[in-house]
Amino acid sequence: MSRTRVFLVDDHAMVRAGVRAELGDDVEVVGEAADVGTAVTGIRATTPDVVLLDVHLPGGGGHAVLQSLRAELPATRWLALSVSDAAEDVIAVIRAGARGYVTKTISGPDLRDAVRRVAEGDVVFSPRLAGFVLDAFAAAGSPPAAPAEDPATDPGLDLLSAREREVMQLLARGYTYREIGGRLFISVKTVESHASNVLRKLQLSNRNELTRWAATNRLL
Amino acid sequence: MTTSTVPAAGPTARPLLVRPREGRFLAGVAAGTAAHLRLDPLAVRVAYVVLAFLGVGVVAYALLWLTMPAGDPWAGSEPGTEPDPALRERPSRRQLIGLALLALVAVGVVSRLASFGGTDVVLPLILAGAGMAVIWRQFDSADPAVLGGTARWGLAAGVVLGVAGVVLLLASTGQLANARNGFTATVVILVGITLATAPLWRRLLDSRAAERAALIRSEERAAVAAHLHDSVLQTLALIQRHAEDPTAVGRLARSQERELRAWLYEPTVATGGTWAGLVARLVAEVEADHAVAVEPVVVGDLPVDDAVATLGQAAKEAVVNAAKHSGAATVSLYSEVSAGSVTVFVRDRGTGFDPAGVPADRRGLRDSVIGRLTRLQGTATVRSAPGEGTEVELCLPRVEQEASA
Repeated sequence: MSRTRVFLVDDHAMVRAGVRAELGDDVEVVGEAADVGTAVTGIRATTPDVVLLDVHLPGGGGHAVLQSLRAELPATRWLALSVSDAAEDVIAVIRAGARGYVTKTISGPDLRDAVRRVAEGDVVFSPRLAGFVLDAFAAAGSPPAAPAEDPATDPGLDLLSAREREVMQLLARGYTYREIGGRLFISVKTVESHASNVLRKLQLSNRNELTRWAATNRLL
Repeated sequence: MTTSTVPAAGPTARPLLVRPREGRFLAGVAAGTAAHLRLDPLAVRVAYVVLAFLGVGVVAYALLWLTMPAGDPWAGSEPGTEPDPALRERPSRRQLIGLALLALVAVGVVSRLASFGGTDVVLPLILAGAGMAVIWRQFDSADPAVLGGTARWGLAAGVVLGVAGVVLLLASTGQLANARNGFTATVVILVGITLATAPLWRRLLDSRAAERAALIRSEERAAVAAHLHDSVLQTLALIQRHAEDPTAVGRLARSQERELRAWLYEPTVATGGTWAGLVARLVAEVEADHAVAVEPVVVGDLPVDDAVATLGQAAKEAVVNAAKHSGAATVSLYSEVSAGSVTVFVRDRGTGFDPAGVPADRRGLRDSVIGRLTRLQGTATVRSAPGEGTEVELCLPRVEQEASA
């Protein structure tokens, strides 16, 4: 199996050097970029497997890179990497198509693991992202009993299923997919599919509440 | 004869000739003069009143009012040279004396004027003068740009008084018809001048607004600089000093990162008394005291009451326990606020223990975590096994919220 080809986008040279060092020899770093323009041309030229994308970038932010390239490069996976704790920034990049979000304080082994999983098509939820997701879907104002009562009438994208909520809560509590599987007596694959369903809902739901939630969080 | 006892800063230490904000009676002219001359304000006021009978006092007072800036006469002078605060207050007895003196002056002036003008002239003059004084007083006490409601009413009252006085004066002297012609001409000229100079006024107003904006910007920048100095620069200095100790450096960097992030992205959390802010603070405290990294995730928020504060203490105790006994480098803290309850999960991947055979040194967990929650009608569950880490689950029901909902 060939090494995963990774492209780094971050406006701080020190961060790029640090991430490059932490990724080590498991992956091949095919390019780096410090702003939206060079990122777009660089990624187009190298067609990497995984792009590590900073949320805050000069020239439009990480989601600008994603929006201009996502349709063009369907095979490329995107992983948001940021120090930002601002929920609306993270949600914006996820909604633009990123397959996960990790903070820059992540340890080297965890980062390598996250890149590998994203490359394999999994989604990567850090505890913080799981918290954002729970916050976003809880802000819809659905009473906790409603989804359990009529799951059939509302199969749409606006609500998390009870199982998906459980998975998100365990992720936010710091559990790994394997541990969640053990807790809920389901396979790791099932946990992964719950997680990617949640990501899909987050990306596709155009519910007003989600936008409003992001807007109010910007004000906070 | 020796001069060594005289303070060196004789002339510079003399208070400025300005009208003080406190302790003024009318416009602060007498108080300011008194402060400047280092005399008793009462004596100066008496002098002004006596001079007022001659006419000179009134003119001098008005001129000084015009020319003396408002301010603190004792600003810039060394502490200790100020008069005792009681003197700077507005003493009610002095105010009474002042009022009595003012009435005396008024009576004196009126009788003098009446003796050669008749009351027809005197009453309108007094009205106009009073109106003028009220207008001046209003503009004097407040920044005209931010005239408040009461100041505006005072201003209107002054204008009404003044106009009434002038009209009465003109009517009583039979000049009203003449004045009307003159008034029309004046209005025409004034309108003409206003229109001609409108661009100038506009530019003045614009530049004023720009100045204000620049001032606000520079103040903002100063606040940011001050904050960065107190937090980030101090931490960087500490990090340089502890360069040999990776644990200390890591701890400093993490706590500073957390604080800066809260300041940048969650200003209400950083300052407000909410659950998320409480969690952020307790995490920072634990990280400061123990060599452990805590990952807090809080979903939802609520204001802190006594029960929630106690839940916070229990959660902190659970995190401290994990930091002290588990041996794990990171601890996860997850809290979810739902309509019916607040739950907290504290999880580590450390050594774990057998909850059934709790050793004596784990009394902290039993007393300060489980005991606290039981007293609040909440629950505390400890899941652990040797080698599998520990998870403490705290659940606090939200009784009041349910009752009110």
